[in-house]
Amino acid sequence: MKRDRDREREKKFFNGGVFNGGSSGKGKIWEEDEEETPDAGMDELLAVLGYKVKSSDMADVAQKLEQLEMAMGTTMEDGITHLSTDTVHKNPSDMAGWVQSMLSSISTNFDMCNQENELVLSGCGSSSSIIDFSRNEQNHQTTTISDDDLRAIPGGAVFNSDSNKRHRSSSSFSTSMLTDSSAARPVVLVDSQETGVRLVHTLMACAEAVQQENLTLADQLVRHIGILAVSQSGAMRKVATYFAEALARRIYKIYPQDSIESSYTDVLQMHFYETCPYLKFAHFTANQAILEAFTGCNKVHVIDFSLKQGMQWPALMQALALRPGGPPAFRLTGIGPPQPDNTDALQQVGWKLAQLAETIGVEFEFRGFVANSLADLDATILDIRPSETEAVAINSVFELHRLLSRPGAIEKVLNSIKQINPKIVTLVEQEANHNAGVFIDRFNEALHYYSTMFDSLESSGSSSSASPTGILPQPPVNNQDLVMSEVYLGRQICNVVACEGSDRVERHETLNQWRVRMNSSGFDPVHLGSNAFKQASMLLALFAGGDGYRVEENDGCLMLGWHTRPLIATSAWKLSPDSGTGAGEIEL
Amino acid sequence: MVQLENGTNFFINDNVDVLIVILQRLDGGSLGVAACVCKLWCSITRNDSLWEHLCFRHVSPPPEGVRTVVLALGGYRRLYMVCVKQVLDRLRKWKKGTAFNESEVMRRVWMQHEVELSLSLFCVDYYERVFLGGGGGAAASSLMFLCNAVNV
Repeated sequence: MKRDRDREREKKFFNGGVFNGGSSGKGKIWEEDEEETPDAGMDELLAVLGYKVKSSDMADVAQKLEQLEMAMGTTMEDGITHLSTDTVHKNPSDMAGWVQSMLSSISTNFDMCNQENELVLSGCGSSSSIIDFSRNEQNHQTTTISDDDLRAIPGGAVFNSDSNKRHRSSSSFSTSMLTDSSAARPVVLVDSQETGVRLVHTLMACAEAVQQENLTLADQLVRHIGILAVSQSGAMRKVATYFAEALARRIYKIYPQDSIESSYTDVLQMHFYETCPYLKFAHFTANQAILEAFTGCNKVHVIDFSLKQGMQWPALMQALALRPGGPPAFRLTGIGPPQPDNTDALQQVGWKLAQLAETIGVEFEFRGFVANSLADLDATILDIRPSETEAVAINSVFELHRLLSRPGAIEKVLNSIKQINPKIVTLVEQEANHNAGVFIDRFNEALHYYSTMFDSLESSGSSSSASPTGILPQPPVNNQDLVMSEVYLGRQICNVVACEGSDRVERHETLNQWRVRMNSSGFDPVHLGSNAFKQASMLLALFAGGDGYRVEENDGCLMLGWHTRPLIATSAWKLSPDSGTGAGEIEL
Repeated sequence: MVQLENGTNFFINDNVDVLIVILQRLDGGSLGVAACVCKLWCSITRNDSLWEHLCFRHVSPPPEGVRTVVLALGGYRRLYMVCVKQVLDRLRKWKKGTAFNESEVMRRVWMQHEVELSLSLFCVDYYERVFLGGGGGAAASSLMFLCNAVNV
């Protein structure tokens, strides 16, 4: 009874069916010693069952069990009955010894040469995770990547407490087997405690391999990431999966189609807008800066570098409608990419905003410009009216970094901006350097950044939302938003990792890098005031799971981050008095 | 019914102006309860001006032109239920957590900011509801975060 039950449990544990072959024969000889107290060095799970295996021996034992199963599988059934009668076995609860004795009894029956060619990736410290890739190659060469290679990758200190958070307590002990065409039998042993760290190290090792153009190694590692990722849960799993996919695309040169329908991207961004506060933060802080710049002006013009669904502008129009002294005449110019189905998406958005403006009593005018790239536009096209009559604000949310993929584009656009002579330029960008020249640096930076992003998404999506009446939960809405937001981020990851040249448009740079660029192009910073800070703080306080988000003020700019890591930054700029081509600019 | 000193009976339902003055002092939850008393009370509590009083009672004076805007965007009752209530509740808990200076001036300033934020969110809600067709029911999807419990 007890033995049967335990045997069932073992069959569940060892998916490969290691014990199936001999269970009938072994029943008599097993002694299950239930009174063993788990030793400090013993694996706890198996100790509960009565098997004493040291954690450090685990990989060894697993490998031997694997060999044992192969042996039992290849020999005829009669060939092993002697095991149950003739052979003297050591105490089976000492698994290492027992397996060894079994193996030595059948050692003549099969060739061990399969095991000679191994690719061993050994872990640091405890050897609880060992990956064997066995190859049937004639050259008996062993390629060993020892731990030193992993440590050679810089930036390991980046993964400190964050990776600890991802160690889930669900202890799943799984043995899985990968077979490829050459009948290799790799064994992967996964200890949940170590897998998070292992996963990160493997990702970095794979990126290193790609950097060194060692694509066969990278290929093996990418597959391994896939296995390890499955054993994780939550944010780490998703991040690892997206990065693995991006790496695979880079290795196999299956680049994502750049003709991504922008309407699909818009939909994804809408879900991202709804799930987490980053875009709302961006909009509210930029609006506050624009509002303050527009005080006292009766005609205002906002140029939005990426209109999308126009989610930023209702709030600004409402604030303008309620400002003391009444609303100004509000003109909006929206810029967007061409639509594949030739619909005029910009006009539709403009029409909606116009209706809203009429509802709240703001004089409104809209103009849309379709452009493949911002560099195709300049001040003359955009119908700028004289600055004495109309104040202009330029707003760019997650758009300027795309210009860095083509040389000369950003300079052209900044010059155009100077010709426009705006009162204020609001710039919201991701706070990360994903534009380094060296691939491995980009990769590490992106891994850290998107891990933090996914962590924050995870916490905002985890609480199930209640309907406004507070009675019925509505999880499907939340989950769909969450999934779409992840897809949205996943596409960015793919672009950062897999693409190159002018295809790689997600060239994020840090606030300091943008500061240098703007300063050297003739712009002065405008400090975002305390009102913006307060509004941003309140907005974040409203979010469930909001205690993880942090608003920071950084020398006049506002940054929103998750715990200690800033993720997006809002900054505001005006033309330096002694630069630019604007004539007779009105000083604030 | 109340018996007054001079022997006459006082029916609250006959004196709606008194009823309104009383209802103006209630909070949102109590107004909801009051709406369940009888048809008269229900119709009175649905009157938007009661809710306007509720939204802005701590903020004086309310920003000019607010009424036109709010009415256009869906009315004070909706503003309260969708935005103001959540904002006030949520921020009350948040403010308790932070070291918050409770001087009268500071309180007024914070209330002003809360009202501004509520109005902005309300406008976003209107835009989504009417133009983007987002989320059936009382709240548009981007404001669902307001309905989530805090710190769950």
